[in-house]
Amino acid sequence: MNFVNAGLIGAIPQPRPNMNPQVQDPAQEVKRLQRCINNLVSLLALPAVWSGNEPSQIVQILLDTLLRMLDLDFICARLKDPVDAGLLEIVRVSDSHRLSIPLQDISRALNTWLEVDGRGSPPAIRHRFGDEDISIFPVPLGVDGDSGIIVVGSGRLDFPGQTDSLLLSVAANQASIGLQEARLLAEQKRIADELDRRVAERTGALAQANEELKKEIDGRKLAEERLLREERELKRSEVHKAAIVDSSADCIVAIDHEGRITEFNPAAEQTLGHRRNDVVGKHLADVIIPSSLREKHRMGFARYLTTGASRVLGRRLEMTALCADGREIPVELTITRIPQDGPLAFTGYIRDITERKRSEDSLRMAHAQVVRSEERWRSVFENSAVGVALTDLNGRFIATNLVYQKMLGYTDDELQQLTFLDITLEEDVEENRTLIGELLDEKRQQFQIEKQYRRKDGQPVWMRNNVSVVPGTERVPRFLMALSEDVTQRKLWEEALAKARSELAKVARITSLGVLTASIAHEINQPLSGIITNAGTCLRMLSADPPNVDGAQETVRRTIRDGNRASNVITRLRTLYSKKEPSPESMDLNDATREVVALTSSDLQRAGVMLRYELADDLPPVVGDRTQLQQVILNLLRNAADAMGTTDDRPRELLIRTQRDEGNQVRLSVKDSGVGFTPQTAEKIFDPFYTTKTDGMGIGLSISRSIIEAHQGRLWATPNDGPGATFSFAIPCTFEGLSETETRVNRSEPATDAA
Amino acid sequence: MESPKGRGGNERLLLSVVVDDDESVRESLPDLLREFGFAARAFSSAEEFLSSGCLDETSCLILDIAMPGMSGPDLQHELKCRGREIPIIFITGQKDDAVRARVLKQGASGFLLKPFSDSDLLAAIKTALHST
Repeated sequence: MNFVNAGLIGAIPQPRPNMNPQVQDPAQEVKRLQRCINNLVSLLALPAVWSGNEPSQIVQILLDTLLRMLDLDFICARLKDPVDAGLLEIVRVSDSHRLSIPLQDISRALNTWLEVDGRGSPPAIRHRFGDEDISIFPVPLGVDGDSGIIVVGSGRLDFPGQTDSLLLSVAANQASIGLQEARLLAEQKRIADELDRRVAERTGALAQANEELKKEIDGRKLAEERLLREERELKRSEVHKAAIVDSSADCIVAIDHEGRITEFNPAAEQTLGHRRNDVVGKHLADVIIPSSLREKHRMGFARYLTTGASRVLGRRLEMTALCADGREIPVELTITRIPQDGPLAFTGYIRDITERKRSEDSLRMAHAQVVRSEERWRSVFENSAVGVALTDLNGRFIATNLVYQKMLGYTDDELQQLTFLDITLEEDVEENRTLIGELLDEKRQQFQIEKQYRRKDGQPVWMRNNVSVVPGTERVPRFLMALSEDVTQRKLWEEALAKARSELAKVARITSLGVLTASIAHEINQPLSGIITNAGTCLRMLSADPPNVDGAQETVRRTIRDGNRASNVITRLRTLYSKKEPSPESMDLNDATREVVALTSSDLQRAGVMLRYELADDLPPVVGDRTQLQQVILNLLRNAADAMGTTDDRPRELLIRTQRDEGNQVRLSVKDSGVGFTPQTAEKIFDPFYTTKTDGMGIGLSISRSIIEAHQGRLWATPNDGPGATFSFAIPCTFEGLSETETRVNRSEPATDAA
Repeated sequence: MESPKGRGGNERLLLSVVVDDDESVRESLPDLLREFGFAARAFSSAEEFLSSGCLDETSCLILDIAMPGMSGPDLQHELKCRGREIPIIFITGQKDDAVRARVLKQGASGFLLKPFSDSDLLAAIKTALHST
């Protein structure tokens, strides 16, 4: 407990009173009375001091005032709280007093003492606290102490004196009144607070109620509006839905839980041919479901109604619908359950898919046709005897067939990583590239090229390729197509053939040289023989007596002439055999023919052959190898003479003719009247080593033909109308590349290089 | 050189005949034969000789082997068939042993390869004339 001595207004500290006031003198008595009156005034002034204070504060002021005023050792107040019946105890101990006992002891002693008389106003006693006797005096507060009690203690023996009791009693009254007032005030305040609280509470409640009311009103308004809106929406939606149903191109048929039609829209009327009014209320099954399906429909419907299981709800089904006129049409049917309370209802959306079916069918057929066509073409592609490769415009392989893959040793997948230039031998790339360029520039529609590819195993392979551009379509860009054949074997044969040919040509040259040698020996021997004879004759003529000078001169002239004749033979021979390599030159075929005839005429004469010329005057020059062509002519003449070797029953006639031919060509033909040939041997006679002669090698005509073909000409034989045969050759007046017997590129359809 | 005289001191010269398709032979050879002291005639083919009518007078025939038409050996055969035993000296530009052997077997008295010397010819003629 905290003891605070409050400063008191008008409280006058006074010295400790005497031990016995009865023995005081009158002056003292006056002073005492005056002091008493002053203290009474102070006490009466207390309400002004504590007015408005709490009871505890009032009591504290009172206790402090009394403690000083009456020079008490202690003072204690116990207040009863009228509201909660609790006790408030306040103890004050004088500062000047030397009371050494603790406050707790005072309180305890008071308890004991006050309990003696439960009534609360025990008589004053003297009680010993520690070393000191203290007079204790109770002063009840309020009527019968109902507000509490004040206990005062003083060491004075005369305590409480007359004035002490008076002052204490006035103070108690004052305190009672003060406390009462304070209580009233507190009560008032409490009531006022309570009132305020209640008012505030009530006001709050009202405000809340008001708010809630407002909210409720607003909510109701909103709900009403919503309801209104929904109603409008619903109306609009219904109108809308009705319009949708009515204007729908699909048939819409609604049925109730018994399967009776409740709605039948115009599209349904039109498609199925029933009037709405005729069918509403009838069973759907009876109206539009073909009899064959009716039972199934009923069972499905019944199952749904009992189990809720359905195979059809919400799904698009293709089925057949029955029309009013008995037609059955394919339809697409979707049944949905109408989400509504009450009995079940369903909507069926029916679409006539006759057209769609038809177009689907035709599409399917068209597709099947496309597939068949595709399969057929694929089969053609795959089974083609030639290699087929499709590439893009850069030459990258798109697809290749088996033959093509086999030729190159690559798989299709491997090829698709390559362009055909990648595997083309270096020497052919440039030409190939050029041709592709011309193809893409549309300077040519296609080209052929024989070139070498490098197989996967590294081996070169000769391929003959027909390359063309395949025009693009909407879906497929244009691409290149190559049809390819492996011509390696042919190339090898050609090489072998060329080699054999040149060997044969060599042999033929030697052979014809041998044949010619005999002829030439004869040609030279004739004049030589003449020279020697004439020279001998000349000598004899000059040795005669007299010398026959005229005769000698004649023989010398003949000797000179024959010497020149021999010299000419040698010259011609040199011309014919001087050149080793074939070389093209512009030449007159008539001249070449005359030279050959000059070499062989005596031979032919001896063989009893009558030789005639028909050499054209307007023969244009040809370009060719003179020696080779003369060998051919020589060969033809010798063959003709041989063919007539056994001809005795008719003249051995031989006609050499030259003439212009069609296509800027020159033709030479040798016609004999010999044994001729049969149709069976017509082609055989050109075979190497085929011969009808006992002394021939049979290579003459074969070699001749290859020589003429090397001149881009042709050599052929025809039987005569009469006896014998005619051998002819025709060669162009100009041609390119004599020594190149094959042109690598056959430029078909050249668009620009026609010149 | 003394001229060959006909038998029985006949002043008439013996007739030598040349048959050859080569003109230079026909030109030169008769001159040489005349230098030898013979009368000489030349024909370009066997057929010409056969039809000349001088077969009986001919004492020596100098005959080419290869000729258009009837060849030398053909003429030899023909004369044999006709019973005319005229001594024949074959001349040829082509060395052909088979032909040589054949004609010699058939009774030819000589076979000369062109070109030949005047003395070879004279020797051959002498042989021919003596053989008969």
